[in-house]
Amino acid sequence: MKKFNFTKALILLFPLLVCISWIYVLKIEGADILSVFTEKNLIHTKKFLSGMIGLGEAKPAFLDKEIIKDTLKLTLETLQMSIMAIGFSTIGMFLTVISASRRVADGSLTMKKSWLGLIIYYITKTVYLFSRAIPELIWAMIVIFVFKPGILPGAIALSLHNFGILGKLCAEVIDNIDLRPIRNLASSGANSVQIFFYGVIPTVLPKFMTYIVYRLEIIMRTTIVVGFIGAGGLGTQFRLSMSFFRYSELTLILICYVFLVLIADVVSELTRRLSN
Amino acid sequence: MSNILDYFKYRKKLLLSLILLLMFAWSLFSVSWNSELLHLGGASMIMKIFKSLFNPEISSEILTLALKSAWITVVYAACGISISIVIALMFGILASGIMFKKKSNSLVAIFFKSLLGFMRAIHELVWAWLFVASIGLTPFSAIFALAIPYGGILGRIYADKFRDVDSKPIEALKSSGAGPIQTLFYGYFPLTLLDMLSYTMYRFECAIRSSTIMSFVGLGGLGYQIQLSLNDLNYNRVWSFLFFLILLVVLVDLWSSSIRKGLIER
Repeated sequence: MKKFNFTKALILLFPLLVCISWIYVLKIEGADILSVFTEKNLIHTKKFLSGMIGLGEAKPAFLDKEIIKDTLKLTLETLQMSIMAIGFSTIGMFLTVISASRRVADGSLTMKKSWLGLIIYYITKTVYLFSRAIPELIWAMIVIFVFKPGILPGAIALSLHNFGILGKLCAEVIDNIDLRPIRNLASSGANSVQIFFYGVIPTVLPKFMTYIVYRLEIIMRTTIVVGFIGAGGLGTQFRLSMSFFRYSELTLILICYVFLVLIADVVSELTRRLSN
Repeated sequence: MSNILDYFKYRKKLLLSLILLLMFAWSLFSVSWNSELLHLGGASMIMKIFKSLFNPEISSEILTLALKSAWITVVYAACGISISIVIALMFGILASGIMFKKKSNSLVAIFFKSLLGFMRAIHELVWAWLFVASIGLTPFSAIFALAIPYGGILGRIYADKFRDVDSKPIEALKSSGAGPIQTLFYGYFPLTLLDMLSYTMYRFECAIRSSTIMSFVGLGGLGYQIQLSLNDLNYNRVWSFLFFLILLVVLVDLWSSSIRKGLIER
């Protein structure tokens, strides 16, 4: 008899879930794909799209010098927000990552073992899990209760989410380093601080850098979203233009946004090449 | 002069970190640091929110509501990712340029590569808003909005995987007379299937998190309940929904990571 294959069962669960979901959406929620393509919707969509390319406007936003200038300023603000966010989460990560490493907690790295370290390890891991499971937008909804609208709450919300991800990734880097140089240091009499500065930091820093730049790229893409809550930058303007039905401004904002994301893409590709 | 250049070539990493540090300092200067930053009573608000973390509201009513909205979140994510797999397979094959003869492939590949880049450059919530503005508040807005950026990400990864396939089995197939479609089904798919599967599972996990925030533009789900209770200033309820969200994410994480582990062990 064939052994029950657990992995296969788990994989097959996925198409099953997809099927059930589609049945649920189509039958129980009563969503009808045909109702999307009705006459009324078609007119509505046409109006929206022609608004976006600026038909019927004397001066569409993407030709107006003043609006372009304002939007560029907002783009710069968005850039600042994402850099501030990655800065905050990097600082938070550096402060906590040591205690989140299993290697440090069970004492194989510092050659010292304490039950306190293990407790702190589990607490830090839980905090990481907590902060990365909640999406940026929901963090922003909470943060905006405390801070006044501006760049800062957006940056804090972004960094709260990315702190968990960055912490998890970097703790794994420490867990996976080569132990031999560390043992050498320990056997020649280095204490735990010396081991940390001469053994751990030089090996892990380049990998940390790669992760930080990778997260920065993703943060750039997400800044527009926390802006919706009122955290400044392009997102806030996007929301305003949407509610005033100034669709040609939307086009301009989207162009700036895509441009920013593409630049981030190129920069992170360059740094990846630099590090290899 | 060349000495300095050599130095920088050697210390590229240091230079990069310095630039990033400087940019961080520059961004800090853009905020005027004073008490104006906080709302009146903002500090006590933090304490209030933090305190309610330890006694979330738990009743059968809340639990059924949370379960129902968690289910809707999962449904949107699953439907969205199923469409995005279809998009990603089609566009990924075209963008990798494995289907055509040498001459025509580069143009088609570049076109589809930049199309995929455009699809994933725009965040799913922006897509959601654009869809709601054009086709209205139907579940399809959420599903399409998830499908497009995830199609872009998956398509790029699939294309990379197709391109990195070992060329020997493919050449063996071609030399025994297989056409492009046959090479695809008997050469490329079997060689890349496991990699693609494990990456898709990872992305499904991300899709659940994205589907939560679809609520912001008015499409239901867990995020919608969180937003409603935040607007009611009912922090205890906010935390109970947030715990539900975390539980959901952890469950899917366990599911996908055990699949990945199982695939690696084989």
